[in-house]
Amino acid sequence: MALVAPLVIWLLLTIAYPIFSLIRLSFLDVGIIGTGGDFVGLANYQKVLSLRTFAPSMGRSLVWVLGNGVLQTVLAFIAALVLNLPFRGRALARTWVILPWIVPTVVAVIVWRWMLGTSGGIVNTVLLRLGLVQEQIGFFSTGASAMTSLVVMNSWRFFPLLTIIILAGMQSIGEDLYAAAAVDGASAWRRFLHITLPGLQPVLFVMGLVGTLWSVNIFDVIYLVTGGGPSRATMTMPVLIYDMAFLQYRLGRAAAAAVLMALVVSLFTVLFIYFLAPRGDDQDEAWR
Amino acid sequence: MSEGKRNPAIRYLLVFVVMFVIIAPFYWIYSSSLKESSAIVSQAPTLLPPSITFEHYANLLSSSDYPIYLANSIVVSAATMVITVALSTSAAYGLYRLPFPGRKTLYRLILLAYIFPGSLLLIPLYVMLSNFKLLDSQVALIVVNVTFAAPFSVWLLKAFFASIPFELEEAAALDGANWLQTLLLVLVPLASPGVASVAIFAFITSWTEYMFASVLIVSDANRTLPVGLAGIIGQYVVDWGLLLAGAGATTLPIILLFVLIGRYFVRGLLEGGVKA
Repeated sequence: MALVAPLVIWLLLTIAYPIFSLIRLSFLDVGIIGTGGDFVGLANYQKVLSLRTFAPSMGRSLVWVLGNGVLQTVLAFIAALVLNLPFRGRALARTWVILPWIVPTVVAVIVWRWMLGTSGGIVNTVLLRLGLVQEQIGFFSTGASAMTSLVVMNSWRFFPLLTIIILAGMQSIGEDLYAAAAVDGASAWRRFLHITLPGLQPVLFVMGLVGTLWSVNIFDVIYLVTGGGPSRATMTMPVLIYDMAFLQYRLGRAAAAAVLMALVVSLFTVLFIYFLAPRGDDQDEAWR
Repeated sequence: MSEGKRNPAIRYLLVFVVMFVIIAPFYWIYSSSLKESSAIVSQAPTLLPPSITFEHYANLLSSSDYPIYLANSIVVSAATMVITVALSTSAAYGLYRLPFPGRKTLYRLILLAYIFPGSLLLIPLYVMLSNFKLLDSQVALIVVNVTFAAPFSVWLLKAFFASIPFELEEAAALDGANWLQTLLLVLVPLASPGVASVAIFAFITSWTEYMFASVLIVSDANRTLPVGLAGIIGQYVVDWGLLLAGAGATTLPIILLFVLIGRYFVRGLLEGGVKA
């Protein structure tokens, strides 16, 4: 117990106490840090809910989470199935596949802005040479294309982790199931559908939950590439909250927005667990 | 599996495509960062630099604040690594090797901390650290980075600690070792790939952190690499040579670390995942 205590105390001080103070802050009239502090009841909440930027930001966060969820899942399944084939250098490939996940976001931002750029950007150059487009594409110039480009960039960073987790899940599925299915003459697609997918259910449940919580919170890649633009088209909730707190200096109001976002995310978490938690088995296992 | 019977050429083509998506952008950073400035922005980019130059790296080291950012990042990441390893190894030992009431609940609470959104904690941690007069100090970043690295580290260590037979601890106890000796002399050496994984994870978490570093650090002299590099992006005229050299130089330590202990790290993820 004494061994666990230092970590627990550390987390209480840096997570539990800040959450408490966030909620307190959301009821106070605080602008710049160190000023004000009168209790204003629900005024911050009323103000946030009446902002014209609030509901669209929530909507964009939803688009962001869904886009990332779908793209990352598809990419990760493809990569995991491929890296599960027998081939020379498989251990090496499985180690290095994680690389995009471990480099700083700012590096990913630099390389993707560089590749998607309009002056010597490799993507535009290749598309032009292949005759797929007639003129350079401004990947960050319209709202829809900026959002799409950001989702692609972010998915490139995170699908490797998901790939490793799916590979881990695949390892835990017994070979004998596949052998039996092969004897019965099941096609590769049917084996995937009836053995691989059900076997991965606990892993997918955890990844669906944790992945959603992570991606809804992503701030750096959006802020660094578009800053929420063009004309707020990529301003998701974390960018909005950051903007309120550290650019407009309205800490109390930003705290209220953060609490509202947390409520929505908590509701999602409860529903996700209630409807999708793997049943039958020891449910504790799913949390490991 | 019967996929093994399939045409090996197709198999290797598939592997190539997957690895291309992963590796190609990194190749492009390094290849472009060695080109002359005119070749970098050329409308007809070449796969290999037409002529190799190190001028962008030299610029990075001599005329930008990159060396300061680098030193700050090393200090913050090393401190985060040491504290995280100490806290998470002892916590993991307590949680997985010593039975005590409420162990499972405690374990779940620690995991809950792991999924806790950073952007929610940004405002209150900013206020709290400002009250402690820790804004614009590396201590603030270390505190925050440990908070985000430690819970996952505990989870990562689980698979490694679980694979060590209990008999070894009993033997150590018979020989008169106390718990600290058992942990440091018996368990940690056996779980060393796990401890290495945790160290690399903590280092990387800290090395890559942007959001807190951008808010908690005010003065240029205390900036870490991600924020410093982002500052170079934000300049009016984008010097791609300098930026690409910065990106390449920032990625290099991670690649080197990964060459040394990357396989343990991924093994830790794979084995932790099996128990999911």
